[in-house]
Amino acid sequence: MPNVNVSLKDIGKLVGKKLSVKEFKEAVLYAKGEVDAIEGDMITVDMKDTNRPDLLSAEGLAREIRSRITRDRGITKYKIRKGNIELLVDKNVANIRPYIAAAIVKNVKVTEDFLIQIIQLQEKVCLTFGRKRKEAAIGLYDWTKLKGPMHYRAYKPREKKFIPLEYKVEMDLEEILEDHPTGREYKHLLEGKNKYPIFEDNNGVVASMPPIINSQITGKVSENTKEVLVEVTGHNQERVNTALNVMVSALAERGFDIYSVKVRYPNRTVITPDFTPKKVSVNLDSIRSFSGMDLSNKQIVELLQKARYDAKISGKKVVCQYPSYRQDILHPVDVIEDVLISYGYGNIEPTSIESATIGSERIETKQVDLARDICVGLGLQEILTYTMTSKKKQTETIDLDPEKEKFVEIENPMSENYAIFRKRLFPELLEFLSKNKHNSYPQKIFEVGKTLELDAKSETGVNEKNTLCIILIGKGAEFNTIKSVLDAITSNKGETYSLKETQLPFLEKGKQAELALGKRKGFIGEVSKSTLNKFGLEQKTVVLELEI
Amino acid sequence: MDTGKIAASLSEIERRTLKALDKGKGKSPRDISEEAKLPIDSARRALQWLKEKSLIDLSERKEKSLKLMPAGKSSLRKGLPEKMFVEALAELNGKALMGAVRKKSQLNTPEYHAAMGLAKRNAWISIQKTDKGIELELTGLEKDLLEGKYSLEKALRATEGKESVDEKDKGELLKRGLAEETMNIERTALLNANGETILKQLESVGKRTYNVQGEVPRIFIGKKQPYIQFLNQLRKKLISLGFKEMQERLIVQEFYNFDVLFQPQNHPARSWTDTYQLKQPTFGRLPDKKIVAKVKAAHENGGGTGSRGWEYKWDEKIASRLMPCAHGTTADARQLVEGVDVPGKYFVINRCYRPDVLDATHLVEFNQLDGFVVGEDMNFRHLLGILKEIAIEVGGAEEVKFFPDYYPFTEPSVQLSAKHPQLGWVELAGAGIFRPEMIEPLGIKGRAIAWGLGIDRLAAFKLGISDIRYLFAQDLGWLRDSKMVKVD
Repeated sequence: MPNVNVSLKDIGKLVGKKLSVKEFKEAVLYAKGEVDAIEGDMITVDMKDTNRPDLLSAEGLAREIRSRITRDRGITKYKIRKGNIELLVDKNVANIRPYIAAAIVKNVKVTEDFLIQIIQLQEKVCLTFGRKRKEAAIGLYDWTKLKGPMHYRAYKPREKKFIPLEYKVEMDLEEILEDHPTGREYKHLLEGKNKYPIFEDNNGVVASMPPIINSQITGKVSENTKEVLVEVTGHNQERVNTALNVMVSALAERGFDIYSVKVRYPNRTVITPDFTPKKVSVNLDSIRSFSGMDLSNKQIVELLQKARYDAKISGKKVVCQYPSYRQDILHPVDVIEDVLISYGYGNIEPTSIESATIGSERIETKQVDLARDICVGLGLQEILTYTMTSKKKQTETIDLDPEKEKFVEIENPMSENYAIFRKRLFPELLEFLSKNKHNSYPQKIFEVGKTLELDAKSETGVNEKNTLCIILIGKGAEFNTIKSVLDAITSNKGETYSLKETQLPFLEKGKQAELALGKRKGFIGEVSKSTLNKFGLEQKTVVLELEI
Repeated sequence: MDTGKIAASLSEIERRTLKALDKGKGKSPRDISEEAKLPIDSARRALQWLKEKSLIDLSERKEKSLKLMPAGKSSLRKGLPEKMFVEALAELNGKALMGAVRKKSQLNTPEYHAAMGLAKRNAWISIQKTDKGIELELTGLEKDLLEGKYSLEKALRATEGKESVDEKDKGELLKRGLAEETMNIERTALLNANGETILKQLESVGKRTYNVQGEVPRIFIGKKQPYIQFLNQLRKKLISLGFKEMQERLIVQEFYNFDVLFQPQNHPARSWTDTYQLKQPTFGRLPDKKIVAKVKAAHENGGGTGSRGWEYKWDEKIASRLMPCAHGTTADARQLVEGVDVPGKYFVINRCYRPDVLDATHLVEFNQLDGFVVGEDMNFRHLLGILKEIAIEVGGAEEVKFFPDYYPFTEPSVQLSAKHPQLGWVELAGAGIFRPEMIEPLGIKGRAIAWGLGIDRLAAFKLGISDIRYLFAQDLGWLRDSKMVKVD
């Protein structure tokens, strides 16, 4: 979830009403924002809805808050002036990154707040709504440094050169992808293409290489910028338009003048930005049935306006228009949620569910609990360890060959200590004991937990078993004692088992046996000196491990 | 000296040993064993313990003593070889050839030669050479020997009876391997002044009376792990509220963790940094093709649910990738695919995994309590109702508040904040009504209300711990000391 930093003063100016921290906190909850940190005038808000790019800056938040606390409702109308600038799209980008949208903003008054917000908005929109620039990449340019018409076309890797952002020398397109840090980060977005897209002016001055990087000379907005060109590229016309509308409507909130751009594709022309509201119709009864409230038609219209919809009743439906910077209305339920948020969750009376159902626990849970009860009856202390562990602990430390043992393994572990899922419980219990040498002996512990084994027959390729492990260390930890424990467990569960001599490397020779209870397997025995040494344990230790 | 405390700490064998002791006369473990009717080992142990408690003085006397060797024991029984030799000659009327004596005496060759040498040295016999061979004859000096007055024979008997033996005979016994000398450590115990006081106290209060204030040894009982107990209590509570338990799985297909839950495949939250991925195994199987096709359609174009969908190309391969379960809602997804009763209530307590660094507030593994209620006429007020019930019943809350929230699989979505008597306002759960794009492709008739609780923080509070890592406590002392969770 993206974090957004805003200045409370700036928000106050944009809303047209000074807000206290408390008022802001409350208001931002309606926008699914939660205040994370406050530092002086700067507030960090965690924005939960990743499908609302328009709320990722002070301008959009202020617009949302304004409709909650003032009478300014419905869709905000922004004026778009007709620009005479053209953007020519070459047919050679069709198979690379086909769509582009742009707008020109004039009469820009750059303030520190504005600069912070516009750069933050650009970054966050690219990350979330733009799916890390794949679906939408945004560029901002100093329009005074460019000469229209603009061109969007693809070049061969060595065919074009420009100075990329934060660099001093010209690089060709291949060099940028190979050597520039941003180039390397987003290189995969152009993988397999033999030409790369370039956005440039009529004199061949490069503005940017979408979706990778802007030019150091033209692709920068600073304190001195008076006119801004905004451009978005991507793979879907609507998504590109929405991203542009988010950017431009934020600039319009600041009172700057917006000019349109004529985007000429080989066989059609699109004028951007296009602020035409989008439409959705919602059945009035479904709003009532979903909310569980008998809302009147008038109420519904008012609630929608508060959520910045323009709404009109038409028969059994309400016809809703919503701002062009939103693309999150997939289904009428999305509108219903906005109605409920406008109503206020706090104003809705909870009601209880009448249907009578009978609760039950799973058979596995019952089996696990039975085993635990018996162990407690045996005077053992239950412990709990992690299911993720280190491969070393599950192999070398217990004298098993790490090459031969297969585990469920994590591809991106945070640490080698938690890189696989355990197959056996007892190494984890031995480690527990190794941390408790200062506590009085004998120590008698058990755990019932999941152990994981590769299993091609399972739909997940993994067999997840519930396993019981008991370890006794210190006086009385003899083979016969652990066998008595086994007898106690099985006889109290009404089970019978069979034992077979075995040669497990982590158990003492001649003091170990393999255990079978029907299909369930296990073993008992005295832990070998070598394994005990590796855990730094000195006293005699016996173990029982058994699937349950 | 706290005599009451010491008296109370004495074990039964220590008491009996103490009573058998005397102030004036030192007693050995053997004496005590007899008087107190205790096995000698117990008496020895008790003496050691009493000495550590400074109730007795122990002294050690080292003493050499003679002990018969097997040859000595046999000589004591059958007679010394020299005696057997002389007796044989006497039975042959005091005069006989060497061969006849040897036969009569039944001595083996080395014994016979040694015996004859001794008899000669002691002048019990005279030896003459005759025509028939060497002839032996008693001299009359053998009388003392035959009457049992031979000093070496007496020394054998004295050794056996642990009486003193003179140095000359002792030397002979040792030389001939009839006896050996051993070092004995003789312990004797004397009651000291402290012991006397304690003994008096023991006698005055009688055998069955203890110092009730005294400290007694600690017993470590068999006990369940506090956090697991807490989870079990939650489970019982949910069952009592009519919820059916679902299966917990640690390894899941992305299909259940994300796709069924209408999380688009290109969503940033599905990335490397937010979830774990598996190196092996890598891919799992997907359920029935019809269901997979419907989920695909819902993602791509809404699949006839009245939704636009996410408008991208859904990839079955991505959906079949395996991962460690990242949230408890995965179990909801599977249950909904496998089929549910309508109306029905379901829950799971599921171990979940996310790549966070382990610290006082983040665990490598954590548990989530997730559930849903499915019914034909479920609405938003029911959602708030069930959340309030859970906050009060499960979270011990006094008051609740609801805020808008976002999840890709619920609309509307709600955040439940609860006011806890001690913790104040806490975010307790995320919840919502499952989206039609999720429910309808699975053929579910009706609406489903879903919620999820991170329960670890609640558990830490209930168990009175400030460091969340103690839920998986690796400290046996702490586990032994911890209280059993109160049922409330």
